[in-house]
Amino acid sequence: MSTSASQTGPLPTGSGPAGTRAPKELSDLAVMIGGQGGDGTLTVSDLLGRYFLRRGLYVYTSRNVLSRIRGGHADACIRACREVTAAVKPEVDLLVGFDNEAVELGRKELSSDGAIIYDSSVFQLDLPNAYGFPFATLVGGQVGQPIYKNTAAYGAISVMMGFDPQLTREVIEARFTRRGPEALEKNLKALEIGRKAALERAGVADRWKVLAGDAKDQVLTIGNQAVALGFVVGGGRFFAGYPITPATEVMEYLMRYLPAFHGVVRQAEDELAAINMVIGASYAGARVMTSTSGPGLSLMTEGIGHASTAELPVVIADCQRVGPSTGEPTRHEQSDLSHLANLGHGEYPRFILAPGTVDDCFQLTVDALNLAEHWRLPVILLLDQALCQNTVSAPPYDLSKVRVEPGLRLSAEKLNALEQYKYYQFTPDGPSPYTPPGTPGVIAQVTGNEHDEWGHVSVNPTNRNRMMDKRMGKMVHARDQLPGPRMYGDPKAKVGFIGFGSTWGPIREAQETLRQGGVGTNFFQARTLFPVQTHTLSPFLESVDVAYVVEHNYTGQYARLIREALPQHHAKLHSILKYDGHSFRSPEILRAMKGA
Amino acid sequence: MVQSVKSTPSTWCPGCGDFGTLASVRNAAKEVGIPPHEEVLVGGIGCSGGIHNFLDVNGIHALHGRLLAQAIGVKLANPKLTVIAAGGDGDGYAIGMGHFMHAFKKNVSILYIVMNNETYGLTKGQASPTSQLGFEGNVENPFDAILTALSIPAPNFIARTFSGDPRTMTQVFVEALKFNRENRGFAFVEDLSPCVTYNDTFKEWRQKVVDVAKLPGYDATDRKAMFRLCLETMDSGKIPIGVMHRPAPAVTTPNALELKLLPDLVGPAAADIGLAANLPAYQKLLKGAA
Repeated sequence: MSTSASQTGPLPTGSGPAGTRAPKELSDLAVMIGGQGGDGTLTVSDLLGRYFLRRGLYVYTSRNVLSRIRGGHADACIRACREVTAAVKPEVDLLVGFDNEAVELGRKELSSDGAIIYDSSVFQLDLPNAYGFPFATLVGGQVGQPIYKNTAAYGAISVMMGFDPQLTREVIEARFTRRGPEALEKNLKALEIGRKAALERAGVADRWKVLAGDAKDQVLTIGNQAVALGFVVGGGRFFAGYPITPATEVMEYLMRYLPAFHGVVRQAEDELAAINMVIGASYAGARVMTSTSGPGLSLMTEGIGHASTAELPVVIADCQRVGPSTGEPTRHEQSDLSHLANLGHGEYPRFILAPGTVDDCFQLTVDALNLAEHWRLPVILLLDQALCQNTVSAPPYDLSKVRVEPGLRLSAEKLNALEQYKYYQFTPDGPSPYTPPGTPGVIAQVTGNEHDEWGHVSVNPTNRNRMMDKRMGKMVHARDQLPGPRMYGDPKAKVGFIGFGSTWGPIREAQETLRQGGVGTNFFQARTLFPVQTHTLSPFLESVDVAYVVEHNYTGQYARLIREALPQHHAKLHSILKYDGHSFRSPEILRAMKGA
Repeated sequence: MVQSVKSTPSTWCPGCGDFGTLASVRNAAKEVGIPPHEEVLVGGIGCSGGIHNFLDVNGIHALHGRLLAQAIGVKLANPKLTVIAAGGDGDGYAIGMGHFMHAFKKNVSILYIVMNNETYGLTKGQASPTSQLGFEGNVENPFDAILTALSIPAPNFIARTFSGDPRTMTQVFVEALKFNRENRGFAFVEDLSPCVTYNDTFKEWRQKVVDVAKLPGYDATDRKAMFRLCLETMDSGKIPIGVMHRPAPAVTTPNALELKLLPDLVGPAAADIGLAANLPAYQKLLKGAA
């Protein structure tokens, strides 16, 4: 129910005054909103996202923030599209700037017929297609608090893009009703201030018309939320983590979700404690996970090796950011793969899964739990900042493919039928049946030292060889049972793409551009990176003349893994690399192909 | 009857103080009546950390310094288990110091036993965090775990024992284990357990230990009084032992973390994770997340 908040009365809703040209129709658009941290840029992008969703469009929002709470440049770039997208639009149509820095930075990405809306109470611009409105002054005077300037900017955007006024207002109501009547009233006032200012300015109203789409039942989500939800439905019940960008949301979502399911979430004193707490909980019989990013992963490396040797299942979500060291905490990269494939001192098995989309984050988290449980080892979910934190519209997460597999846990009946219960019993494919502590009649010893089948420390060379075969053999026996690739495009194409994680979006877009130009391509979206999936990569590489391996790192880490496993295809692999902290725009991939 | 793992003979030097600790842990568990399958012993790295191998209970051999994090993970996943973490002074006060401090703060109902011999025995006698000035060229001031424990304002059970008096040690362990099993919080016992090979302090410590319970002004519910008693005892060249902090039972809200998080004590390990059992709740969750 709407309130009687608006004091400004109805405004004209048709085409604005002095409309000298027909609105240009947009079916794929990008709005960038920039300012200082605290200007409310993310709120504007959230409001726009809600509006576009209601118009049946798919939405993808990338954020560009600094590692500080307030101040510093921050921007959000929202794309709305009639087709599914998970990529940043190469050019921005509308740039909204709350300060001069935002305009200076954003102009580089503005399309040739783009426009700028800016807060002229802060600075002045002398540029064609730039429209200044004194949002802060107007709102400060009429609402009392200039902080609502961002909602006024949303009002001006709505006029310029020819939004439906009623829907525009409903979005404000949906967003602010739960903040209480005062907040709602002030935001509705600010909205009308922005709309009025824009309608009164010649050449602003209905510059564009945003075409409606047919996307239905979409929700706005991020990869980190998908991982948290996947963890719950996959049977995950114990999570320990340490706050780190860009992984923290996984823990925050689970703090909300897990207590209803006898679950525990603990913020540990550091990543060493986090990984060891989940190891302890895993031993006790819970399904567990931790999430972190590069610096935390370095600390957890000790524990991951212990879990693999002690044969305790753990899932580690690595939300990659720019490294090495503390790198760039808020920026995007995919540079932990080499580290993860060779993780730790000594040699031990681990699986590395890499979801490419949010629904894949959900599904692969479930898969990771089942695989860790069955194979009794660490499974790493390799994510990246764009996938973790960029907001995307998606259908609600689907339970129909979720399975909670029991693994090798012994039922009481099976346990009692045994003559001997050995925690590290030799088996044909590696993992041993087990029962958690507390099971009447049996006890177990678990250790990261080399041990015999009983869990007794052992330095016997024959035992050592067998135990190494037991553990390392898991990667051989499991290889074909790990999540397979998703293939996109023309299976007969001679041009191939290989990628993982959030490069899914830009690669799909590049494929589409090439298809329209008559070039067919085939895309191997790798979802298991380690052990290297030679049985699927090899036929793919046979089928193409060239394969572009698209990655966000300096050294072509996945290409190197593939080359090592499949040296015969060495010459076909060409790396397309980016490591500047920003995710690929599809034209960058196309340009790199020409240069290759 | 299914045969499962059996304890191995100890690998400690003859006369090692840790034998006293081992016997007391075994006797206390027996007296309290803990079934072996419900007991989990988490051992650290170092001579003393091997203790889990020498008892017929469940054991984890943790990473160096990380035994508390693992033990807390076990207990929070299954609060019905009795969890004992046991290791040395290097493990607990050097590499594990961060986790040590936080264990008091977390206040999970596990028993942590530190066998303090003021040296690194397994690596052949280097100075440890508790080594006296001058020991093996040590120029760093010794750390005192009891004063540190008393300085953290949390309702923990805190005690110090001496391996030369296993009978008293057993009594303290019994009290600590009961404290844990009543879900009253974290219990910390530092056992003075001499290394007969690299730092044989048996004779010296026997002369120096003072049972604080016999001192005027002893009140284990009064943190301030106990801090003063310990400091005064140490200033007189003696070593205070005995129960140092014995918090009153919680009246309204529970003290122990596992009770705060899991009031019914059904934890992550016992939760029914089957899809069928959770389907309506999952559907609601996924819808609500939208």
